[in-house]
Amino acid sequence: MLNILVSIKQVPDTTNIRINPETGTLIREGIPSITNPYDVVALSLACELKQRYGGKITVITMGPPQAKASLREAVEFGADRIILLCDKKFAGADTLATSYTLAETIKFLQKDDPFDLLLFGKQAIDGDTAQVGPGVANRLNIPVITYVIKLQDIDLINKKIIVHRKIERGVEVLEASLPVLLTCEKELCATPFVPLEQVIKATKAEPEVFTAEGPVIFTREKLGLKGSPTQVKKVFTPELKKQGKIYNLEEVPLEKVIEEIIGVLKEKGLL
Amino acid sequence: MNKYLYDVVIIGGGPAGLSTGIKLAQKGLKTLLIERGRFCGAKNLFGGVVYTSSIKEIVPEFPEVDPSPVERPVTEEGYFFLSKEGVVKILHTKKRADESFTALRAKFDAFLSEYALKKGIDLAPKTKVIDFIRNNGFIEGVIVDRPTSFEDPSPATIKAKVVVIAEGVNRLLTEKAGLVTKTFEPEEVVLAVKEVLQLPKGELEARFGLSNNQGLAVEIFGEITKGLPGTGFLYTNKTTISFGIGIFLKSLMDLNLKPYEILEYAKLHPYFRELFKGSETLEYGAHLIPEWGIKGLPKPYGNGVLVVGDAAGLVNPLFREGTNLAIYSGLMAAEAIFYAFEKGDFTERSLRRYEELFKDSFIYKDLVMLKDLKTFLLSNSHLFQVYPEMIYDICSLYFSAQGRYKRDVIREIFGIIKKKRGYWGILRDFVKIGRFLW
Ligand SMILES: Cc1cc2nc3c(=O)[nH]c(=O)nc-3n(C[C@H](O)[C@H](O)[C@H](O)COP(=O)(O)OP(=O)(O)OC[C@H]3O[C@@H](n4cnc5c(N)ncnc54)[C@H](O)[C@@H]3O)c2cc1C
Repeated sequence: MLNILVSIKQVPDTTNIRINPETGTLIREGIPSITNPYDVVALSLACELKQRYGGKITVITMGPPQAKASLREAVEFGADRIILLCDKKFAGADTLATSYTLAETIKFLQKDDPFDLLLFGKQAIDGDTAQVGPGVANRLNIPVITYVIKLQDIDLINKKIIVHRKIERGVEVLEASLPVLLTCEKELCATPFVPLEQVIKATKAEPEVFTAEGPVIFTREKLGLKGSPTQVKKVFTPELKKQGKIYNLEEVPLEKVIEEIIGVLKEKGLL
Repeated sequence: MNKYLYDVVIIGGGPAGLSTGIKLAQKGLKTLLIERGRFCGAKNLFGGVVYTSSIKEIVPEFPEVDPSPVERPVTEEGYFFLSKEGVVKILHTKKRADESFTALRAKFDAFLSEYALKKGIDLAPKTKVIDFIRNNGFIEGVIVDRPTSFEDPSPATIKAKVVVIAEGVNRLLTEKAGLVTKTFEPEEVVLAVKEVLQLPKGELEARFGLSNNQGLAVEIFGEITKGLPGTGFLYTNKTTISFGIGIFLKSLMDLNLKPYEILEYAKLHPYFRELFKGSETLEYGAHLIPEWGIKGLPKPYGNGVLVVGDAAGLVNPLFREGTNLAIYSGLMAAEAIFYAFEKGDFTERSLRRYEELFKDSFIYKDLVMLKDLKTFLLSNSHLFQVYPEMIYDICSLYFSAQGRYKRDVIREIFGIIKKKRGYWGILRDFVKIGRFLW
């Protein structure tokens, strides 16, 4: 049996997003909201693990009342308990305040029944910071493995997990003891086609709502805008740096690589 | 035993399916509504003007609801006759502002589905019905594309006493149920395309002369469809405009025209170019409107099955009725279902009640009255070509007659009429239209 926590976020569907050319800020009005795609991967993995090992899935999110829609979606993946952290005092939180709020909530939730596995998306597509997962793990004092692309094995008896993690040039295979916090990459798990009963159940699911007043006890100064030292100076589209190509000689024969290089140099008129 | 057992299963979460569901739930029937879209309204499109009285039949507390699906009440309504150069408008300020309102499909259907959920129906979005469970000429339920459970990956089957088909214009399941023998022909459907345009803040009110709780709804004839049989429409929403056209699929195919090209072309018309200046397109969509007429209607009932809304061909294009007819048909279906439950008989014999109710209603009478509409419109396409141009030219002359001998002006006006259509032509058209409507 696995006790799993998944933390998700509702984000604007950035495939539809537009930037106000005058102010440089996102136009959020009229943009449909979706569950952060990497969080959907986390939910998918939780779903798969629950089927395989049995257990329980708790899903939390911090956001406005509309975020209930994402929690209902979580029920489709088999979530047993869904919790919305919703309060004006939570609003305007940066990654520091968010990690604090989530970590305190998780501590509260696992008082009697500690989580074995905590799943986060690798990052939220509306901020791309990738800081919240590690921030929470740090506060919970548990190991964190970011950018996980494969879960190789879970050993429930010895409480160990083996995962593959994406690094810039290759893959790291890591073993960690449970509980562990993973942040999920797209490749980690395919979205399941969930059964009819879950879909019907989801439309009727009502999340528990936690506020700044309780049931979790927070230090007020660490919440929301107050607890957020980050200031946004400017929003801009980064220029794409020219990228080189990297060939792995274990996969591509040397001759072919040389050929390609000569081809490119000729094309640029350098040879 | 089957995992999923219901009294009634409804296929499709448009206005027809949802109103059926709301009525059934009110009487405590265990009802499941299946919608293939991400949510009700996600896969759909309409103008749209909705009539308050029809909504009140299913949501009595309307319009006192929060959140409300109302964009703006329709306070001004009428017609635009568009010529190549300009437009002649006939607008009337409505006596009552609460008769009809503009709405956007995604919000409107979502509103109804929330309401239906609260009334107690079960809802399965993101799920598509792929076939029926059949037994000896009886329809006993449906099969969907989703797995039964995490343990059982086979497609879920849902048993029900009655299946209500509310699938909209693409009547694939109606056909599968054997209630209609052929798919439709291009001359039996109108293809509508529509854009939602966002104007700079405050411009909507300024350009249309509206206050915050006033709204405009117009149908547009003439150049908007390049003179083809069909209409354009323009409705004001809270901060956006719904702008679109509907043209018989046959005309589009004959002339090899793409509907969005016609819409783009319409937006370049000097009048609309000015009206929409600085606007941004938020949404774009296309959808068919059934124009089967009374002869092309499916049989609306069978053993264990009923058909409602667009799937049953219930649209009155002349009076922009579709949503309300969908709702009324849902109500009649619900009534027939109650009757069947009372009798404990779900065969044709008791479900025929639906057709009886339908034949007594104004919907059926209207359909009989307009039975030859598509033939009439397609064979009188000059009405859409000649008249808007003529009306505009006449007005242009008439309104710039200052400083001239008026008899000359009038003579010139008659000259236009003679050239464009001829006196006899006009007389014939009047008689034809009169006869058609009588
Ligand atoms: C551009 C346009 C403008 C219009 N303007 C107006 C207007 O101003 N006023 C007005 O009254 N009417 C208007 N109409 C007509 C009106 O929209 C329709 O008559 C009305 O929506 C019909 O409702 P319905 O429930 O029968 O079908 P639909 O609204 O089409 O709903 C059918 C639903 O069934 C679902 N479905 C289909 N097949 C399956 C399946 N196999 N499994 C699961 N779900 C399925 C679809 O996703 C859809 O949500 C307009 C239509 C168009 C296209």
